[in-house]
Amino acid sequence: MSLTRRLVLGAAAGTLAVPYVVRAQAETFRIGALNPITGAGSPYGTGMQRMIQAAVEAINSAGGVNGRRIEVFAEDTQTSPQAAVLAAKKLIEVNRVRAILGTWSSGVSLAVIPLTNEADILLMHTSGAPALSTPPANAKNLGYRYQATNDRFGRAFAEIAVREGFRRPATMAFNNASGIGNTDGFRRAWAAKGNQNGEHVVYEPNQPSYRAELLRVLSTRPDVIVMGSFLPDTTIILREWFQTGTPVKWIIPAWAANPQLVQALGPAVTNGIIAVDSVSNEGAEAFTAYDAAYRRAMNQPGASNVYAAMTWDMANTLALAIEQAKSFETAAINAAIRRVANPPGEAVSAFAAGKAAIAAGRKINYEGASSVLDFDEFGDVTPDFGVFFIENGQFNRRYVVKI
Amino acid sequence: MEAYIVAIAIVGAIYVLLTLGLTLQYGLTGLVNFGHVGFFAIGAYASAIVSMQGVPLVASFAFAALLAALAAWPIGLVALRLRDDYFAVVTLGFGETVRLAITSEKWLTNGVQGIPGIPRTFAGLGVGLPGALATLAAITLVCVAAALALRRITRSPFGRVIEAIRDNEEALKALGKDPARFKIQVLALGAALAGIAGAFYAHYITYLSPDQFIPLVTFYVWMAMIMGGVGRVSGAVVGALLLMLFLEGTRFLRDIAPDAISGVAMASLRFGAVGLALILFTLFRPQGLVGDYTRR
Repeated sequence: MSLTRRLVLGAAAGTLAVPYVVRAQAETFRIGALNPITGAGSPYGTGMQRMIQAAVEAINSAGGVNGRRIEVFAEDTQTSPQAAVLAAKKLIEVNRVRAILGTWSSGVSLAVIPLTNEADILLMHTSGAPALSTPPANAKNLGYRYQATNDRFGRAFAEIAVREGFRRPATMAFNNASGIGNTDGFRRAWAAKGNQNGEHVVYEPNQPSYRAELLRVLSTRPDVIVMGSFLPDTTIILREWFQTGTPVKWIIPAWAANPQLVQALGPAVTNGIIAVDSVSNEGAEAFTAYDAAYRRAMNQPGASNVYAAMTWDMANTLALAIEQAKSFETAAINAAIRRVANPPGEAVSAFAAGKAAIAAGRKINYEGASSVLDFDEFGDVTPDFGVFFIENGQFNRRYVVKI
Repeated sequence: MEAYIVAIAIVGAIYVLLTLGLTLQYGLTGLVNFGHVGFFAIGAYASAIVSMQGVPLVASFAFAALLAALAAWPIGLVALRLRDDYFAVVTLGFGETVRLAITSEKWLTNGVQGIPGIPRTFAGLGVGLPGALATLAAITLVCVAAALALRRITRSPFGRVIEAIRDNEEALKALGKDPARFKIQVLALGAALAGIAGAFYAHYITYLSPDQFIPLVTFYVWMAMIMGGVGRVSGAVVGALLLMLFLEGTRFLRDIAPDAISGVAMASLRFGAVGLALILFTLFRPQGLVGDYTRR
């Protein structure tokens, strides 16, 4: 038999068909992992995707959901709505996934949610935009937000500022929806308490220095600077602030004020910084399991990627909801999500334990790695906020703020 | 599967429109426009904002084209004094300026929060396949009309003048023609096409934010034009479709061998593949796939 063009084409087509033939052998429950592997979300995206896969691996080795294995199809949003729309179409139309997990930026989630609504499947995301809670975006109540809204973070910052006795807060925000959402939330809540807002500076991403912006804020002599920032820019700003020698306190979201920040700047610079976290349930059993999985997959501590903890929880809540619903229909699964995630019920932190409890007919309450994970009527998590003080390079949780 | 292919086709057609505009500006007239994304953004935001005030989509599309064309006016005036690289720098700056203006003017554009809930084209047909097919039909119609108009232009006296501007502006001046007027017209026309592409984009994606309008979009359009063939209308179409094949085709590699390629590697591979294609085209087919072989 000679190697003809027709033969080569046929063989190539056959190779392409192999996965479909293999997959046809056992019915699975298909989910899409749609994460920001490249673009602005790239520091988090790979970890998010790996944790969906790791959680699903654990779920499958515990016998799968309702008798089926979960199968993950991974895609990259490129942190761009246009690429995300095409990726979501592909996941829905070609891979026939029944839920999409882990869209990160608000732009991407807002562009994808009309498609998941149309296909009548769930979308679990980590975006901050308020528009995602309500119609038209969440018209079918199929959207779930695993991240506290930026506005809620801002309100928590204001509570902390009051409790710590600050009088003249200034704000600095990274110029994107998340950064400005944090500081706007703070300024609104602070003003609502009858206080005067201080200087507000919005800075552009990817600058080698933020000295000009920093000096503008420091010249107004604030006693605390509230940040809506990310790790790279926070590192630069704090280094430049320390060089000025001006005494001031900082309130920073925990995704920016994390152990990597301490590692980069040393304990002297970071001493006294207040880091605020949506109680990324450190100490909870789910977090321990997640942390171990994250270290295995990414060779970094789990606390360095709050969004990966959320995607870990997404896979687990979805699996528990399917188990609870005893069905693969979206409507039944959707109805079961709050039932397995919200109190009252037996607190469980892993799929296997939850599955056993459900089988025994008990009502469960999944306590996640990212937060206690209770959803309100809009599908938003309503976490408590942990307030950490960085002291000698250690993160010490002093108290918890409820809003 | 159909809806996915229709989605690719719609985004592909948006790139075809963008590439046609650039073909007119660079391919035919020799204006090195590195700020194409700026006109795209102006069109997208113009149509989105106006349509959300209740203006019918037909009018908002026309407004998008008009506003983008008007924005090209000052760039055209600059183009009279600058050639080639200098003009490229100015247009690159223009594209970024537009993005920063959109970021800053919160009262109009909602800044970095973006504009959600932009009405869809053919919303009456729903979000599903019928609506998407109608959108595809409409944008295909616009593409065909634009391609025919461009073809008509290349065979008209106007077309001969702009090609002469590209080939030898001094000689053209010596013949008594005024290149300035032609350059402004060409820029405005190309910008109008980009504006319409932007309007289609806004009403298809239904969410706009400034970070969608980064210079990468401009360079995707340049890639499409170079692969397809500079200065040819058919080249613009072929190039844009080839670009979509590169960007979307790589998704399926991971379904076939999910463990062999990680997400990050895949993204790098995608850019690598496009880059390699560009190098190979430059080496072996400098005129592009369907380029102009009449001149050497």
